[in-house]
Amino acid sequence: MDESALERYFDDSIAGDSSFLLGEELGPESLDPAHSQQDSALQAVKAGSGAELGDELDLSFLPDDLGPQEEPDRHDDTAGGPAEALNVSGDSGVFTDFISQDSTAANSQQGGALLTHSTSPFCPMTPMTPMTPMTPVMERSGIIPQLQNIVSTVNLSCPLDLKFIALQARNAEYNPKRFAAVIMRIREPRTTALIFSSGKMVCTGAKSEEQSRLAARKYARVVQKLGFPAHFLEFKIQNMVASCDICFPIRLEGLVLKHQQFCSYEPELFPGLIYRMVKPRIVLLIFVSGKVVLTGNKL
Amino acid sequence: MASTSRGDVLALPRVTCRNHPDAILVEDYRAGDMICPECGLVVGDRVIDVGSEWRTFSNEKALKDPSRVGDAQNPLLNGGDLTTMISKGTGAASFDEFGNSKYQNRRTMSSSDRAMLNAFKEISTMADRINLPRNIIDRTNNLFKQVYEQKSLKGRANDAIASACLYIACRQEGVPRTFKEICAVSRISKKEIGRCFKLILKALETSVDLITTGDFMSRFCSNLGLPKQVQMAATFIARKAVELDLVPGRSPISVAAAAIYMASQASAEKKTQKEIGDIAGVADVTIRQSYRLIYPRAAELFPPDFKFDTPVDKLPQL
Repeated sequence: MDESALERYFDDSIAGDSSFLLGEELGPESLDPAHSQQDSALQAVKAGSGAELGDELDLSFLPDDLGPQEEPDRHDDTAGGPAEALNVSGDSGVFTDFISQDSTAANSQQGGALLTHSTSPFCPMTPMTPMTPMTPVMERSGIIPQLQNIVSTVNLSCPLDLKFIALQARNAEYNPKRFAAVIMRIREPRTTALIFSSGKMVCTGAKSEEQSRLAARKYARVVQKLGFPAHFLEFKIQNMVASCDICFPIRLEGLVLKHQQFCSYEPELFPGLIYRMVKPRIVLLIFVSGKVVLTGNKL
Repeated sequence: MASTSRGDVLALPRVTCRNHPDAILVEDYRAGDMICPECGLVVGDRVIDVGSEWRTFSNEKALKDPSRVGDAQNPLLNGGDLTTMISKGTGAASFDEFGNSKYQNRRTMSSSDRAMLNAFKEISTMADRINLPRNIIDRTNNLFKQVYEQKSLKGRANDAIASACLYIACRQEGVPRTFKEICAVSRISKKEIGRCFKLILKALETSVDLITTGDFMSRFCSNLGLPKQVQMAATFIARKAVELDLVPGRSPISVAAAAIYMASQASAEKKTQKEIGDIAGVADVTIRQSYRLIYPRAAELFPPDFKFDTPVDKLPQL
């Protein structure tokens, strides 16, 4: 039951926001179903948009334009590497590139984009311009970010007596002078929860969405056992942090030159580059060693 | 007496004679009119004379220039302050019976501008401490004004925003100062300046160039008293080290400090890591770390025409 529920949940999220990164974010267990789902989503959007490329490089589901300057990158998609893929997909956002060509491309909507990109060898007669040229959905870079932390909130919807909870429950600490919530920890999915007197609760430290939900339920159960009429309303995942290693060193100065609008790299302040991707609204911390931390994913 | 006036060019877009739109209006400042020369129609009247109120004939520069009415206007930055201020009176008449001055306080000038003026003063003080030229101060003032008017950073301390503007201005002018240098002349912490810096870049939608090692060489070397040869060698070393990617992920300041250390140790003017660390604002362990990274390839990092006082193999190895 859980498996199919998971699948349905993933299907819904894919249908809403089809971007190839989604396959990677969903984690290993969903790789295959997500993959096939994404293909069908692609087909659907392809048919809907009327763009027919026939190639795996049709990125017609991505709505915005980027310039032809990106297209050479597309050709060396294997050479470019997944880092570029991760980064360039961010261009599929509201901001167009700073190159003037791109702005003209962006201005001309899908119908007119034909002109600017008619010279591309890959898509001679595509009515809609694919603009994120990078590695298409088909090519799996094989890099899957590992979830490190999930922050979620839930509403227990009953006022709580924090002092009572702190005295009765195990593994609870409450220091009202320092912070106005009970800090409770459980060992099973190793998590920490902040329980406020209004009945709202924040659960942090879980390594997957299901674990976070399970942990939140356990905390709710603890509160319930203490005698409060706790419910489990509006469970929402607020933040997901993942990390991955792309196994090759990165030239951060080059990256900041190319993607100036999205990057913030101040070696004096922080050794990593902060890339704020627009299309999946994610912040990536990119380090010279090739390690990447992805955060800000709200689901 | 009618006379042609320099105000013609200004007059043209604003007002023209009905019958002769092409005619250049003639200004009669005695009557304050603008007259069309073709038909004599008085087009504009009550023109304010912006000339000086009286003429001065003294040759030497008196302390006060009486032809100026008021302080030099700062129109770009203040939004034209045309207020009147009443200063403390002189003479007996300005005191009432109790001995208090009759007109107590000068009317405060527009309070919105007051914060800005304070900030300008603060910016000027900070810049003066590190001897920044006028163009950077002007740029900083302009940045501050833009940020202030935008109000997106309204909650932040004005001093923090001023410091961050100073930092951005130095960067934009091509002579970046390290955060630590700005910290040294400001009361705000480096963290807060860094935060404000990022916020301002976002608010003004600008970006700045990345810092390079060469930006700091001349300043650090002169502060250490190193001769030009050593400075040039250090610049070369640092640039080469970055090109060869010997120091991935290291801050350019640390690389510059290590390069200065290497160059000075190879020359007659040897400086210790501590001295360089003090000037550059880097810890000496940091210099040591970066030095360790560039030491193995020291021979190829030096410029070809460098005169070694201490040969490469005798360079200190830490």
